[in-house]
Amino acid sequence: MIEFRNVKKIYSAGINTIALDDVNFVIEKEEFVSLVGHSGAGKSTLLKLLYAEEKPTSGQIFFNGEDITQLTPKELPLHRRRIGTIFQDFKLLPRKTLFENVAFALEVSDHSDAEIQELVPQILEIVGLAHKMECYPREISGGEQQRVAIARALVHRPPLIIADEPTGNLDPISSWGIIQLLLKINKLGTTILLATHNKDIVNRVKRRVITLDQGKIIRDHSKGRYAI
Amino acid sequence: MLLITLKRTFLSGFQHFKRNGWLSFAVTSILSLTLLIISTLIVLSLAANLVIRNVQDKVDISVYFKSDTPESKILDFRSTVLQYKEVKSSEYVSKNQAFDDFKEKNADNPVILQSLDAIGDNPLNASVNIKAITPDKYDIIATAIQNSAFKDDIIRINYAKNKLVIERLNNILSMTRRVGITLAALFSLIAILITFNAVRITIYAHRQEIEIMRLVGASDRYIRLPFIFEGITYGAISAIFVMFLLFPLIRFAVPHITGAVSVKDVQSDFIHYFWLIFLVQLLVGVGLGIVSSLIAIRRYLKI
Repeated sequence: MIEFRNVKKIYSAGINTIALDDVNFVIEKEEFVSLVGHSGAGKSTLLKLLYAEEKPTSGQIFFNGEDITQLTPKELPLHRRRIGTIFQDFKLLPRKTLFENVAFALEVSDHSDAEIQELVPQILEIVGLAHKMECYPREISGGEQQRVAIARALVHRPPLIIADEPTGNLDPISSWGIIQLLLKINKLGTTILLATHNKDIVNRVKRRVITLDQGKIIRDHSKGRYAI
Repeated sequence: MLLITLKRTFLSGFQHFKRNGWLSFAVTSILSLTLLIISTLIVLSLAANLVIRNVQDKVDISVYFKSDTPESKILDFRSTVLQYKEVKSSEYVSKNQAFDDFKEKNADNPVILQSLDAIGDNPLNASVNIKAITPDKYDIIATAIQNSAFKDDIIRINYAKNKLVIERLNNILSMTRRVGITLAALFSLIAILITFNAVRITIYAHRQEIEIMRLVGASDRYIRLPFIFEGITYGAISAIFVMFLLFPLIRFAVPHITGAVSVKDVQSDFIHYFWLIFLVQLLVGVGLGIVSSLIAIRRYLKI
């Protein structure tokens, strides 16, 4: 499903910083992959390349057989609709209700009002927040806010979900709740790529772990543990 | 699909406007100020044109002929002068007509009428009144006449008397044009820069929304449209507001600045041009709103 081929990313602002150095890996459909490494190891860069927020300096990135480094600006939005993204800081709109926050993702991709009315409550039900859909983000807890973000990422049924430190701002119990939700989504057939440096989580999940260090993949184990 | 996009982006643009009350108020005020400056300049130039037209109509030169000059010769002179390319019109006033005009003008002055009767004869001279196409041409016309074949029949040309007025008018004309254009350009530039910045601030306030829109796969068009509609809203509201402000402003200000021209003329001109001024304002306002939005949003749409 995803393939990185000799990918290199150099940020050249003043001094050149090598963020990713000759990265090669393949992720199959319906895998659950944890991406671990210290801060600055290149995790976020790798994810940004995948949802085309950045372009690699050299190398190719394939998504369902298509080289996404060659996408035109017009094709970019369509590519991004195939990927749900979740972040440490949730990125919810504070002036919109939970319903509106999730509906937003459907509105921008031209779904009809009827579809939105039907899909949004369904998705909020899956993340367990259907009863709070008229609340505003500030009225709910951090863990709940992350669930809303997951609902928004899920709502146009993307084949891949990218989660960049989704538990970074949460307490251990909420964190585990979020991971369980991601595991459940994975079971329903969505590929998950989780970047984290939470050792407990990686060890409890017991799935494939790719370890990055200074822009290079130093380990790739199918039933991995957090080990740096 | 396009319809649904338009509907949603329009609503969201309008929502931006409503939910950011203070910011919208500030931007609308600044845009209104811009439009007010621009439209004041338009109105002033309309008024100045009126003044100029008025004074220009009053200025002419009269060429007086000796009493014994035959009418045919004077008519000949008139048609010769008409052929000068600097001349707009020339009018023959015969001895008798001059006499009648004079009598009519002084109809309520019995002393003058009595003295006219006492003379018995018509003491006035026939003349030709000449109007130039522009005031700066009188000098050339007067010189040409003085050097023409008719110079022996002419008693006097009253150009000298009007010369001062004509020269002043010329100076004022070119001065007002130059100052007007400079001021207009300067104020418009300042106003446009301020408007740009104000719109940039509103977009900055929405940067998080733009970021999320990009993440969830909104097309660039979809991201841009709400801000364009927001810009249109600013422009339209400012234009309407300024039109309401401009009318009473002209009512009160015009009598103090025009002097020579009747106030009614300026006001009727304004009413006559109402839709034109409104249209210009609407176009400038909406155009400014859209252009500043587009420029400001560009940096958030990079890849």
